[in-house]
Amino acid sequence: MSDGVLPRVTPRSSFRARLRNFEPITLLWLLLAAVLLVLVAFPLIKLLISSFETREGVFTLGNYATAYGRARYIDALFNSLKLGALSASIAVLLAVPMAWAVSRTDMPGKGFTWAMVMAAFVMPPYLGAVGWILLAGPNSGFLNITWRAITGASDPLFNVYSFAGLATVIALHSFPLVFIFVKSALDLVSSEMEDAANILGAGTFATMRKVTLPLVWPAILGGFIIVFLETIALFGTPAIIGIPARINVVTTQLWQFFEYPVRMEVAAAYAMPLLLITIAMIGVQKLMLSRKGFVSQTGKGGERRQIKLGAWRWALFGWCGLVGTLSVLLPLLVLLQASFAKAWGRGLSLDNLTIRNYRLLLFEHEMALTSVWNTIWFSAAAATIALVLALLVAYIAVRRLSRFADALGFLAMAPFVIPGIVMAIGFYAAYASPPLALYGTALLIILAFAARFLPIAYANANAAMRAVHPEMEEAVRILGGGRLTAIRHVTAPLVKKALLGGWLIVFIVASRELSAAVFLVGPRTRTMSVLLYDLSEAGNFEVLAAFGGILLVVTMVFVAIGMKLAGRDFMLRRH
Amino acid sequence: MILISKRDFLRASAAAAALGAAGRARAQEMPAHERTLHEAARREGELTWYSGQYNAETSEAVGRAFTERYAGVRVNVVRSTSQVAFQRLSQDTRAGVAQCDVFSSTDFGHYSLLKRENRLLQYRPVNDEQLLPQLRRADPDGYYHTSFMGLYLMAHNTTKVSEADAPKKWTDVLDPRWRDQLAVGHPGFSGAIGIWAVQMRKMYGWDYFTRLERNRPQIGRSSMDPVTGLNAGERSVGIAVPSGTTLLSAQRGNPLRLIYPEEGVLATLSPSAIPRNAPHPNAAKLFMEFTASRYLSDTIRQTFGDPINPMVEPPPGSRAINDLKLIYPTQEEAERGVPEVRELWRDTFGV
Repeated sequence: MSDGVLPRVTPRSSFRARLRNFEPITLLWLLLAAVLLVLVAFPLIKLLISSFETREGVFTLGNYATAYGRARYIDALFNSLKLGALSASIAVLLAVPMAWAVSRTDMPGKGFTWAMVMAAFVMPPYLGAVGWILLAGPNSGFLNITWRAITGASDPLFNVYSFAGLATVIALHSFPLVFIFVKSALDLVSSEMEDAANILGAGTFATMRKVTLPLVWPAILGGFIIVFLETIALFGTPAIIGIPARINVVTTQLWQFFEYPVRMEVAAAYAMPLLLITIAMIGVQKLMLSRKGFVSQTGKGGERRQIKLGAWRWALFGWCGLVGTLSVLLPLLVLLQASFAKAWGRGLSLDNLTIRNYRLLLFEHEMALTSVWNTIWFSAAAATIALVLALLVAYIAVRRLSRFADALGFLAMAPFVIPGIVMAIGFYAAYASPPLALYGTALLIILAFAARFLPIAYANANAAMRAVHPEMEEAVRILGGGRLTAIRHVTAPLVKKALLGGWLIVFIVASRELSAAVFLVGPRTRTMSVLLYDLSEAGNFEVLAAFGGILLVVTMVFVAIGMKLAGRDFMLRRH
Repeated sequence: MILISKRDFLRASAAAAALGAAGRARAQEMPAHERTLHEAARREGELTWYSGQYNAETSEAVGRAFTERYAGVRVNVVRSTSQVAFQRLSQDTRAGVAQCDVFSSTDFGHYSLLKRENRLLQYRPVNDEQLLPQLRRADPDGYYHTSFMGLYLMAHNTTKVSEADAPKKWTDVLDPRWRDQLAVGHPGFSGAIGIWAVQMRKMYGWDYFTRLERNRPQIGRSSMDPVTGLNAGERSVGIAVPSGTTLLSAQRGNPLRLIYPEEGVLATLSPSAIPRNAPHPNAAKLFMEFTASRYLSDTIRQTFGDPINPMVEPPPGSRAINDLKLIYPTQEEAERGVPEVRELWRDTFGV
């Protein structure tokens, strides 16, 4: 192409004028917009388009007809909704008293409660599911055996292979989300409002019910919605517990559409309601909160005193201890027992002890250590990408450097409403095939992880950025430094610690991610979570438990590093 | 970067291991055709094996045994249930990405389908002649070759059910007295359970499964899942469990006993094949030679797998194949029937 052929559309002078006003920051946001489009928008658009296309690319509504053409498929959809609602309700019941106790009262053992909440958050849900199979299998679970031995009953105390069992196990690993939300909201409610109620004659619990909790209603609702959304997007636990319990849900059904012949288009059509439900939930939340005032924080500050509970504080501590025991201590204990057992059903005895399961994984298993390594570096790379992106977007958004700052911020937060499994199918649709042919590569998984957890990174970066007043940067610029100098020497050091916390959270949630990974891994790029899933169908709980032990040790190392570098509560701050 | 140094480290340690193994391998006789393939395979360095045939532990042992015999060729073992392995292969095909060098499934219907779609590489292992006579020449055109003889029977937990009370026939488990005591795998995951379901439907009609459903069996994914349930005492009788995994588990102290159903033992005489687009075709061919040789049978016997090479004795506790009545559907019945029973199963059992 030569110049002579192309018509000159733009007059030169105006182009030059533009060039003169061109700021490097424009280039940056153009670049950011491009990256966000690749990571977030394109996979979704591709998913939407595929849902209306045949494999040959011809328009059709057939995928939707197939996806909703069978009662079983629709049942799965309703099962997911019911499961989400039940799990979220249980999670709220578990978490709200704990949050209230830790935030507002003189309950003892707050450190212990914190540790339990944190551990429940860190433990991958599918691992907890395996633990609960060992605990509450109707005939062989330790809890049920003990129950029968004590009471002589013939029915099990608790059957994990049931709808309630599935919902409870999910809730036991998602309640920390509600806890974090509600506790940070409660921290802001000043005691004066409670005092007012007390003066008018309300007791402690009436005050809590009528004043304190209604004030944090948005946080409770927010927590409920998050758990609901997490639950309907969960793959591991429904696969491990749901199949024996005969419960089919959306995610396990999506997996079936990937059976031969791979019906990606039907999966895309079937995934659409998941996306719509998520968006609707966020809408409902906005609607429900819009017409009431929940201002508990005013300019006056206000005093925050601990409520003296008297003997009741032990009851609350008992509750926290119970939740901690059920969500963390008991599952860990049985997993540990199984991982060192020759045959876990034989229980604790010396001749049943072995390190064979660990030896097999560490020295004889071709993939186990590679998967540990994959997990660490995929998660680290994804966390880095997500955080760098988030930081740049947050910088532009907070400093209002571009008219399009809000659009960028919106794109960065958008994956929040996309269930992981839907995002994975979008990535498969968009990037697995040639020309890019990324299927089975590390890059595809890293990008999917980065996109999936971008909102966490963005919320973090945004909060950190807001805390730094622009005047400090302005000082540098007045003294002749460029914007980049200012960022490097002033802003970056100031936000370092907050960002480190954000990086670690992304790292940890990425390292336990299963629902996106399971569709994208190749033979050499399996992560620990996927290998654990593969092991879970190999009929060997002892090795499975041992691998779970390794996974937990790896995660714990990083949590410990995080606590050391970013503060003890870095995972539980609300951003 | 760290990634690279890790990879270098792996490579270095693999090379170190290879040096040790090379000495041993040389001591063993290697026929000329294997030596030629080994040279070519060594240049490829590795192969990726999608397998649903041997259990996880045995598959890893097979991978190691292969590398020990053929130094410098590593095996990436990707063990899952057979339908999941097939799903991975289909996803690869769909994405136009070649990752799999050897595909091993217990659902032998997969192979007639793959062959018809022209997705397999033609290669007849020289060692195929060494297999048990009835296992040779699985495909007259040489697109796939037997690598696995799976025997699927019933088993019971001996502390919960005595030998006298245990079911004797496949149809015995339909008796209402076994309600809430049975366990079985899932044809949507396990290839062998798909083959078993096709065979049961052939013998007794789908009614077999509607009646089985009334006994509320616990449904796992793999055909081995019931073994776990039996070990723990969660269930008393496992249906269509693999003989190898059950015997291995019993040897480790679990109260298990195999039941040889009177109608016959379900056999999956299952092949392996090389995808046409395999990235390491020579390593894959060498792996095919290996599966037919006595070395695979030696390895799998250690974890109670049933040898397919007559030079290796059946494992202790297992009956010789010639003493058994084997039942199995034809390959056409399997290819057509497994997708059908999978759908029927989901309608009947809800998952």
